[in-house]
Amino acid sequence: MSQYASLLIALPLFGAFFIPILKRISKSAVMPFLVLVTLIQTGIAAWVFNEVYITGKPIIIMAGGFRPPIGINLYIGHFAALFVLVIAVTSLLMTIFSFKAVSVEPKDKYAMLFLLLMLGATGMISTGDIFNLFVFMEITAISAYALIAYNKTGEASEAALKYIVLGGIGSSFFLVGVALIYGSLGTLNMAHIAQLAHLVNPTVAKAGLALLIFGLAVEAEQFPLNAWAPDAYQEAPHPVTAMFSAFVVKASLYAMGRVIYILSAVEGWSSILRLLIILGTLTVIIGEMSALRQNNVKRMFAYSSIAQVGLIAVGLALGTESGVSASVFHMFNHAIVKALMFLAVGYVAVELGGTEINKFEGLGKRMPVTAFAITVGAISIIGIPLFNIFWSKMQLILAALNAQYTWMVALILGASLVEATYYIRLIHTIWFKGEGEKVKESSVLALVMLLLVALIIVIGIYPEPFWNVMQKAGSDIFNVAQYIKNVPLMGVSP
Amino acid sequence: MVKRIFAIVFILIIGFWMAKALDQVPFGQDRMLVGKYYLEHVKEETGAVNAVTAVVVNYRGFDTLGEVTVLFIASTGVAALLWRKKRKRTAKTEGSVVLTTGARLLLPFIMLFGVYIFIHGHLTPGGGFPGGATIATAFLFLYLAFTVYEVDHKIFEPLEGLAGVGYVTVGLIGLAIGGYFLFDWIWQTWGIGKENIGRLLSAGFIPIIYTLIGIKVGTELTGIVDNMIKEPEEGGQ
Repeated sequence: MSQYASLLIALPLFGAFFIPILKRISKSAVMPFLVLVTLIQTGIAAWVFNEVYITGKPIIIMAGGFRPPIGINLYIGHFAALFVLVIAVTSLLMTIFSFKAVSVEPKDKYAMLFLLLMLGATGMISTGDIFNLFVFMEITAISAYALIAYNKTGEASEAALKYIVLGGIGSSFFLVGVALIYGSLGTLNMAHIAQLAHLVNPTVAKAGLALLIFGLAVEAEQFPLNAWAPDAYQEAPHPVTAMFSAFVVKASLYAMGRVIYILSAVEGWSSILRLLIILGTLTVIIGEMSALRQNNVKRMFAYSSIAQVGLIAVGLALGTESGVSASVFHMFNHAIVKALMFLAVGYVAVELGGTEINKFEGLGKRMPVTAFAITVGAISIIGIPLFNIFWSKMQLILAALNAQYTWMVALILGASLVEATYYIRLIHTIWFKGEGEKVKESSVLALVMLLLVALIIVIGIYPEPFWNVMQKAGSDIFNVAQYIKNVPLMGVSP
Repeated sequence: MVKRIFAIVFILIIGFWMAKALDQVPFGQDRMLVGKYYLEHVKEETGAVNAVTAVVVNYRGFDTLGEVTVLFIASTGVAALLWRKKRKRTAKTEGSVVLTTGARLLLPFIMLFGVYIFIHGHLTPGGGFPGGATIATAFLFLYLAFTVYEVDHKIFEPLEGLAGVGYVTVGLIGLAIGGYFLFDWIWQTWGIGKENIGRLLSAGFIPIIYTLIGIKVGTELTGIVDNMIKEPEEGGQ
């Protein structure tokens, strides 16, 4: 029965391949079909989540019926089950938003690329094979290139081209890294690699791991390789921006965490952690500093998103279980908040024709629900108590203290302070400046936004059950011994 | 200038480090854990004499499905970005006599060769990807030779989708019959072609999948050629 979880991959693929046929039958059926597919996907993801968290055992899907490491397996453990659900729900909400936000033709192509972006992220999170991870990374990246340029303006093409160049370099780094590891171990299965990690020559392992990290860093938006991100966020269609921030980045971050921890038996492993901590710290500092100077709100959110992603990377690189759990919690919270904020800012752009800061003057009177949503999101990101991100920042600080990184407390608090500066400036503009006609807000989108706001506040008030889930998800990444035990490896050994 | 020197030094350091790492990898030695297993079990488990094909379609079929998707995204992306309401061919001169005659004469043979490559994927080198690319070459030939030639999008786009849907469906039938996604039910459950190893009708679902991939790759690459060769009317917009 549990093998039916492979529908998580099969369904979006089937949907994407079916759209050209559907288009011949009826062109107007494409967007409703997209809703249908994401809705079913959400249903399957919810079932998988339920299954994994009730039994407490991961679902291992063996493609083709071959046992790993001979065949490829998907590993839907506590982390994957949680984030597959996040991906499906976000996609569903963004499909609804797409009705309003996407008017450029050809919409059937948009729908296909949308589904494949969702598929790519789902696959990256659930795969148990390092080359398969590369394939899904390519699926995610290439559909992202096309979606960024989808609006067909000059700026959009430029942003996409930047991303293509960097993404291409990143992918080849990743591939060389995989080749190094495969060359020294003769296997591609992640659990098998983890089992044999102590046999790899330390120089090779470190070089391979560094290549893998730099390859993934392009999509995880870590500092020297994230120059594409602000442009891409600004120019992509609004639902796509939200998906980027909510789960595409998270999938790459997870992949980073996973490849780092499966090679934790390697000699000199902690130097790789230090590398990632440096990258993450620089990402936070540069992201926050750049956000401070932006006049375009969507771009400001993009920089803020980059800074948060830096914090997540730092948490992953602490090398402790509580650090990883705190990171996962932050990923989850950030996914909700940024989905909400990019949705709201995109909706403003659709209604008022732009995202420059002066468009937001008097927004509190013109679009009260949207303004309320942005406000709640902003307050949450700053880290005010009773909102969800407060708890994950708190856990990050505690984890940093436990891991003897006292200066990181200053980093997190400093970042929050800078966030407070630019977000409060935005909130001030929204509520206390300018006047304007009231715009009629779409009730469906208002409902979606209020739903996400409610989620933010519920997590803010009752963090305990969520934190329990995150701890399980975190230990799924951190506890490699358990990971190896969970995968039914057949006895192929040197 | 300083920037450039810095970059060169940086590259040299990284290059040295990489070379050191590459030096330590025992490439070519007997470290093929999984590879050895494939070679020893390929015939009984998949029925293919071409072990590479068996690895591509059976053992790592999931990756192949992903690669097919990557190509599909590339073609969809090109179509999405070059989309205009009306586009047509703008070539001014026909190809030379050699080209037009050659295209007419060779067309069936190129197609036949492409089909041969993907149908015999489990026996000889090649498979769905090169076969499909060969077929697309035939269409490219037509585009180069004639100024008015265009493929019929009403047929090509649904055909591309249909091949993809077919691939996923084959995987889902495997899930229904054998309990695993992309399970080779024809070989492992039904055992068709067991006495036929090394001939055309063997190797379970490999020929079916390679035919689907061949059609898909052929239509996709043709679609990319078509999109890139046509230009919007009244120049620019």
